[in-house]
Amino acid sequence: MKKKQIAITLGIMCFILTIALCIQIKTMNEASSAASRTLADNDLRDQVLKWKEKYDNIYNTLKEKQKKLEEVRTEATQNDTLASAKEEQLKKNNIILGLTDVRGDGIIIEVADGNPESFLATINPSNVLVHYNDLLNLVNELNNAGAEAIEINGQRIVNTSSITCEGTVIKVNGEKIGSPFVIKAIGSQGLLYGSITRAGSYIELIKDEGVQTNVIKEDDIYIEKYKGVLNYEYLKPISKK
Amino acid sequence: MIFIAIVLGCIIGALIGINAPIIPYTYSGYLAIAIIAALDSVFGGIASTLKKNFDLKIFVSGFFGNAILSILLTYLGQRLNVDIYLAAIVVFVGRMFNNLAIIRRYYLEKFVKYRKIQKEKIVEYEGKNQSENAQKKEIKK
Repeated sequence: MKKKQIAITLGIMCFILTIALCIQIKTMNEASSAASRTLADNDLRDQVLKWKEKYDNIYNTLKEKQKKLEEVRTEATQNDTLASAKEEQLKKNNIILGLTDVRGDGIIIEVADGNPESFLATINPSNVLVHYNDLLNLVNELNNAGAEAIEINGQRIVNTSSITCEGTVIKVNGEKIGSPFVIKAIGSQGLLYGSITRAGSYIELIKDEGVQTNVIKEDDIYIEKYKGVLNYEYLKPISKK
Repeated sequence: MIFIAIVLGCIIGALIGINAPIIPYTYSGYLAIAIIAALDSVFGGIASTLKKNFDLKIFVSGFFGNAILSILLTYLGQRLNVDIYLAAIVVFVGRMFNNLAIIRRYYLEKFVKYRKIQKEKIVEYEGKNQSENAQKKEIKK
């Protein structure tokens, strides 16, 4: 009887121990494959992972809170016609500001770095690359043609967005993006397509320099919301007397 | 019996562990030190079973107590910026080697005894044969 008891306890302990061991090994595999190649320093890697984890957690809680807020809002405006009108207005404003996911017909522009061994690249290798000002010009042309929502590689362009050159990468909304660039725009398909592909347009220009380009009309494009936060500290409305 | 239970526990644990979700990287350091403590307890348990002074209460409390205590110490060390977990590892691994030595000696002695008995048996058998042969020779004469 006593021997049986000992055997069972030892078995259970080994069971717990091996579970913990497997989890630990898996965790370490995951961690080392994710970041150890480029960051040799252990402390730095630890810190990066920790911060990433923190960021992910906070982003998740933010998402949850936003969902809750939405629920509370709909609940509060269910029985009130005045409030529901306000709610409609709020939704409309959020769509304009880029704070909601939207969908609609539009065009997709794909721009990518050209072949570095082509003839055009031998003259000047910089010509076949996509630069930040190319993206800026394309966004300007799209806005000019009446695009209602624009997104570059998952980064929504809102009124505080910036497109900057950071050495070898381009940053949109402070997030690094790289070639190939996929620019989605929602708006009048004919107008957008026509103005982007017209003779002498910017895209024709960079195409001649050796950049790979592709413009297609697409129905029902899905554009994600702006992931950052719009903060206004110094703005105050003027009340008319 | 005990050996079978340990192997069975390890196999089932590995099967579940492979499918278990990974834990956040921040806590993996604590889990590692807890694993070392638990490993020490298991080896201690096996050694005490062989010495026949196994106590269930001491074993179970040691298993969980050591793991939790070492996690707390590691946490304290991180707060104070002292690597206390190194001390815990030294103690646990040192004890682990002690227990392994006890286990090794037990089985080595058993093996040596077994060989001795076998040798004696062979000697006995040969002795019998010799005496029988001698008897046969005498009869022939």
